[in-house]
Amino acid sequence: MNERKLLQAELANLAAAIERAAADLALAEEPSRFIAALEEAAEERE
Amino acid sequence: MTDWTIEALSAAIRRGRISPVEATEECLARIQRLDGRLRAFITLDAEGARKAAKELEAEGTAGRWRGALHGVPLAFKDLCHVRGLPTSCGTRTSEYFVAGHDCTAVSRLAAAGAVTLGKLNMTELAMGPFGDNAHHGHVQNPWRAGHVAGGSSSGSGAAVAARLALGALGTDTGGSVRLPAACCGIVGLKPTYGRVSRAGVMPLSWSNDHIGPMTRTVRDAALLLRIIAGRDALDATSSPRAVPDYLGGIDRGIAGLRVTVPENFFFQGLDPEMASGVREALRTLEGLGARLEERRIPDPQMMNDVCNIISRCEGAAVHSRLYRERPEEIQPVVRARLELGFRIPAHDYLQALRLRARLTRAFLRDIFAEADVLAAPVIPEPAPPISHATEGPVDELVLRQGRFARLTRSFNGLGLPALTVPCGFSQAGLPLAFQIVGRPFDEATVLRVGHAYEEAAGWHRQRPRLD
Repeated sequence: MNERKLLQAELANLAAAIERAAADLALAEEPSRFIAALEEAAEERE
Repeated sequence: MTDWTIEALSAAIRRGRISPVEATEECLARIQRLDGRLRAFITLDAEGARKAAKELEAEGTAGRWRGALHGVPLAFKDLCHVRGLPTSCGTRTSEYFVAGHDCTAVSRLAAAGAVTLGKLNMTELAMGPFGDNAHHGHVQNPWRAGHVAGGSSSGSGAAVAARLALGALGTDTGGSVRLPAACCGIVGLKPTYGRVSRAGVMPLSWSNDHIGPMTRTVRDAALLLRIIAGRDALDATSSPRAVPDYLGGIDRGIAGLRVTVPENFFFQGLDPEMASGVREALRTLEGLGARLEERRIPDPQMMNDVCNIISRCEGAAVHSRLYRERPEEIQPVVRARLELGFRIPAHDYLQALRLRARLTRAFLRDIFAEADVLAAPVIPEPAPPISHATEGPVDELVLRQGRFARLTRSFNGLGLPALTVPCGFSQAGLPLAFQIVGRPFDEATVLRVGHAYEEAAGWHRQRPRLD
């Protein structure tokens, strides 16, 4: 496999993985909920 | 002196047993003697270090102590912007990164009295887990010449293990603190996302970058973290959460602590010596009173993919000018990794960011509802030969890189604190290690477990034969 083919294969694999996993994402799911998850977990522990 | 911990040197300086100038000169002499073959430094600032040490010595003599690191020589990965010193980020361009202000973490260490020895070698643009660098020389593993030091903070790992500096800073976007710490037999901590300001540090991926201490003991890592952690107005992602005294409860022991051990993914395909070393470390934790439970980890490969997409896209954005204007200056394997970032659709990048939030909540719910920490392997095998990182077709090198970092990357996506602790040596004399992962902002528990293990096992008392 040459460099170009590897790139295309990796790209296709990543895209497919994301597409599968994101299929059932709730509309309300947004990136900033990541920070909120960390902060909320820390608050619960305290 | 160079065998001392940061804590021990700091105490000795306070008692007048050794001066900041003497400590600095010992490090400089050792660097002079050994770094020609180790290649841990990109920029050695002997003049600046001597000047700072003299000032600190005068202040100490006058009874003015800056802080817990008064006169302690440290060194920093060459992507931390420090006024007066070039920041190459491992590239061919000596002043590749210039920030409008000094790296906050370095400034905080200096304010506590640290002496800056210089800037440390690293993988070009921090893109790669082995620590090889064709521009500045491949960093050698202090335990065995011809083997990688791990990356991307390879100079940090080698410098601390070889006693060229008492401690160092590294950065971790997919494992770049924990991997070289594991390869070099030292301690490396990736704190929680937001715990330590990234201001003044070359970004690779804003969403996954973390700065952390690399030291010879867990106590020293706790000491440095206390100084560098906390809110910084220059980094909007830094958390306002109060910084605890990490040394305060570090000796409390781990009786009754619940430790989850992954039953999937992390031990699959592991080198037998590494697996044996990590299992033995887990038995030691059990012997110290921890309650171990094997548990299935929710989809680590998915989090690896998510993290990979985010890092590639953000890395491409950060370095697009270099890639478009001077691609011939970039090593082929680094260029191949950058190129992928330009080809991922924006839609996939945004879906990855959304998935990260969901996966993080699921992980916290599934794992930390019934555990205090998770303990797992950190590298799949002991540090491989440098040829493993440098020889072969580019596509094969990229695959090798992905395999070597597969056990660390998911914790960048999750943003959780993760600590590398050495746990023995292979037959070939190369370090074995494992990682301890904790709840968000619970570095205190992670460090407590690491310290309890370190004291019981005693691997930190070993030193590489270099003289």
